Amino acid sequence: MPPSICAVCKTNRALILRPKDHSKLCKPCFINVFEAEIHHTIISTNLFQRGERIAIGASGGKDSTVLASVLKTLNERYDYGLDLILLSIDEGIKGYRDDSLETVKRNAQQYDMSLTILGYAELYGWTMDQVVEQVGKKGNCTYCGVFRRQALDRGASRLGVKHVVTGHNADDVAETVLMNLLRGDLPRLSRTTSIVTSTPSLTPSSGPVADNTNIKRSKPLKYAYEKEIVLYAYHKRLDYFSTECIYSPEAFRGSARALIKNLERVRPSAILDVVRSGEDMARLVPGSDEGCGGACGSGAAVPAEEEEGGCGSAVGKSMASVESQLAANERAAEHNLETEILSKPAKPTPPPSATSTKGQKKPRAERTGGPKKKGPTKQVMGQCKKCGYLSSQEVCKACVLLEGLNKNRPKNKIEVGYEVQDVSLNSVRDELEAATLAAEG
Amino acid sequence: MPGKTTDGAAGGICRRCKENVSVLVVRLEPLCQECFARYVHTKAIKRLETFRVDFHTNEERKVLLPLSFGVSSTTLLHILDLHLKTQMSKTGRTGFALSMVAIRNAEQSPHTEDLLEEVRNQYPGHEYASLPLHDVFRVIPDDAALRDLIPEYTKGEPPKDQEQLARLINSLTSATARADVLSTLRARLIVEHAKSTGCQSILWGDSTTTLAEKTLAETCKGRGFSLPWQVADGKSPFGVYFHYPLRDVLKKELVSYIGFAESGLSSLVHEPFSGATQASTSSKNTTIDDLMKQYFESVEENFPSIVSNVVRTSSKLEVPAGAESDPRCGLCDMPVPGGRFGIHGWGGYQQDGIETAAVVGKNVCYGCTRSLPPSATTTTRI
Repeated sequence: MPPSICAVCKTNRALILRPKDHSKLCKPCFINVFEAEIHHTIISTNLFQRGERIAIGASGGKDSTVLASVLKTLNERYDYGLDLILLSIDEGIKGYRDDSLETVKRNAQQYDMSLTILGYAELYGWTMDQVVEQVGKKGNCTYCGVFRRQALDRGASRLGVKHVVTGHNADDVAETVLMNLLRGDLPRLSRTTSIVTSTPSLTPSSGPVADNTNIKRSKPLKYAYEKEIVLYAYHKRLDYFSTECIYSPEAFRGSARALIKNLERVRPSAILDVVRSGEDMARLVPGSDEGCGGACGSGAAVPAEEEEGGCGSAVGKSMASVESQLAANERAAEHNLETEILSKPAKPTPPPSATSTKGQKKPRAERTGGPKKKGPTKQVMGQCKKCGYLSSQEVCKACVLLEGLNKNRPKNKIEVGYEVQDVSLNSVRDELEAATLAAEG
Repeated sequence: MPGKTTDGAAGGICRRCKENVSVLVVRLEPLCQECFARYVHTKAIKRLETFRVDFHTNEERKVLLPLSFGVSSTTLLHILDLHLKTQMSKTGRTGFALSMVAIRNAEQSPHTEDLLEEVRNQYPGHEYASLPLHDVFRVIPDDAALRDLIPEYTKGEPPKDQEQLARLINSLTSATARADVLSTLRARLIVEHAKSTGCQSILWGDSTTTLAEKTLAETCKGRGFSLPWQVADGKSPFGVYFHYPLRDVLKKELVSYIGFAESGLSSLVHEPFSGATQASTSSKNTTIDDLMKQYFESVEENFPSIVSNVVRTSSKLEVPAGAESDPRCGLCDMPVPGGRFGIHGWGGYQQDGIETAAVVGKNVCYGCTRSLPPSATTTTRI
C-alpha cells in the first residue's frame, strides 16, 4: 500500500487521521486547519474587538493551554490587536491544583503573558480542601462550581478585564446539550450553545459593589474536538498538566459524556452535529428571543449565571436524585391531568390557530400549537444583597453556600451520589494513539 | 425485562382496586393485572380525545396506523381495536375508522404478508395494506427532489422503483446512514399512503422510550431543527396530523402488557429482540439509532422519569414562525428554517480538505447531508 498523502497539501505524507472527519493530513496541515477553524470561529462571530483586554481562564489543563497558545498565535498572525492575560483560580485542592498551577506559571513565561492567581481562600475564606472536610466528598462539586463561576468574574473585574475566554470545547458543548435534554432543562438548552454568554448590563448599581456583573464570557474552542485539542497540544509540544479533580466526578455529566464518546466512534461528525442541533434547538425553545445559538454573530450574548458550569453547580446532581424529583413531579401532575381531561370536549384535531384562548385550560396535553405559550420563566437578574454579584435570587448562591459553611452546617441538602462510569482522559489518549497513523512503509 | 415483578410486589395488594393481588410495580405502585391493563389503556385513550364519537357529523374519520409488528405498534392496534368495540357497544357507532399499513423491505416481502394476514385474522373489520418500500418512488411526483439524490439518475429513462431504491441505498457509506435513510423513506411512504387513502391522521406506535430515543438520535444526527415535528402531537408539515397515543407508556410497560394479555397478542409480535441492539459499540454495523436504543433501554430500567422527561422536554420545542413557507429538504421533506441546507455555512463549518471545486448544493438539510455521500448532495459546476 502506498503511503497516504496529505489531503490538503498533497505533498507530504499523511501522519494524522483527523478525528473530526477522518481526513488524512500531515502535521503542518493539521496544525493549520485547526488554527484556521478557530480563526474562522472568531471572525465569523466577531468575538473580539481591537485593543480588547482578554483574560484566558487558565487551569493548566489541555483545553486552556491550547486556547492560550492558539490565541497567541492567531493574535500575532492576523493582528487582532488583543492584550492577552492569564487568569487562574486556585480552588485550594492539594495534590491537584498545586501541580497544575505550576504548569500555568510556566505557560505564562512561555507565552509571555501576565498571570494572576486568585484563591478561594482569599475570596471566600475557604479552600476546597476545607470545604470537603466540612461537607464530605459527595456534593462538594456544587460548592466548587458556584465558587468558581464567581471567582473568574471577580478576578476579571480586579484586573479591569471585561472579557474572559474559557477552554470549553465541542465535546463539552455537545455533552451539555444532551445533558440538558436528559434533565429537561430548556432554559439552559437555549443558552448552552451560544459562543458568548455574558452577564447582562444592569442599571448602574447603587452602593459600592464590585463591578463584576458585566463580564463577557466566551468559548472560542466551541467547535474544536477534544481529541484534536489533545493532538494539537501533542504536536505543538505544549506544556500542560493532565489530571482529573481528585474529588467526585459529576455523575450526570458522566452519563452524557460516555454517550458522546460512543457516538463519536459510530460517526465522527456526531459531536459537531449535536452542537449544530443544539444551536438550532435554541431557536425553538419557547420564549427564547436570544437563542440564536451563536450562529447570528456577535450581538447575541445570553445571561450566563451558572450555565455550563464545567464541573459542579446544580448540574452535579446524580441521576438518581433527578429521577426521584421528576417522579414526584409526575405523580403530582398526573392527578391534575386526569381531572382536567375529563372536562374536555370532543373535537376533531383543531387546526393550530383555532385553539386560541377559547380552551380555558392550558394546552398542556396537545401539541397542536395553540396560543403562544409562555416560555420557561425567564431569569430576572438582580444583585446579591450581600456581595453585589449578579443573581436571580436575593442572595446569590455562593453567599448562601458560604452562610451554611460558616454556620458549620450546610444549608443545602447534600445528595448521595449515584456513580456512573466516568470516561477518563486515558481513553482519549488510547484513541489518540489509534488516530495517529503509523508511518506506513 | 417484563416490568418490575419484584418479590415485594407479588403477593401484595393492588394499590388501585385494593382487592386483587398485585403482579407488578408500575412507577412505584403495586398493581394487579386488571388495573395494570386499565392503566395502559387509559394512558393511550387519553391521548385520543379528538377521536371520540362525534354525534354531530356522519363524516367518518379515518386514521392510519403503521404496523411494524413490534411491541408498540401491535399493542396500539390491540388497544384501539378494543376501544372501537367499546365505543360501538356503548354508542352504536365509532369515533373513527382504522386503517393499517405495513411497509416491507424487498428481502422480507413474503414474511410481511404472512404477518399481516395473521394480524388481519386476529383483528378483522379494519382496512389493511402492505406496501414495498420502493413504492415511495411511485407515490412521489416525478420532479421530486428525492430523485436527484439517486446516483446516475437520468431524466430520459427512469429506472424501475426497485432499482432507484437499491441505487440510493447502495450509495450510502455507513450503517447509520442506511438506517437513517431507510426510516426517512418509510416515513415518507406512510405519509403519502395516508394522504392517498383519505386518512387525516397517523397514529404512530412510539412509546415514551422510543420517542426519547428518537429525540436524542435526531439531535445526534444534526436534525435538532426538525424535532418539533418528530415527537409532538399535532399538525405535521406534510398535510396530515401526527399522534403518538403511547407517548406516556414506557416500552417495558408495553412488554409487560403483552406478557399479561391473551396469547393471541404476543404471537403477533415479531420484534428483532433487544439482543440485536446489545452488539458491541465498536462494531461497524452499529448505528446511532442502536446506540440510543441501548442507552434508553438501560436508563428506563432505573430512571423511567428521566425517559419521560426527555419526551416532555422535546415536545415543548416550538415550530418556528413561518415554517410553512420554509423550503423543504429533498430527502426528509422537513421545512428547513431559512433554507439553511447542507453542512457548510455556519459557525462549525470545517475545511473538509476533500474538494475545492465550485459546487452547487442540492436542497438537503444538515442531517440528511450527513447521511448522503458527498457526491449526492453536490453537483460540480462545469
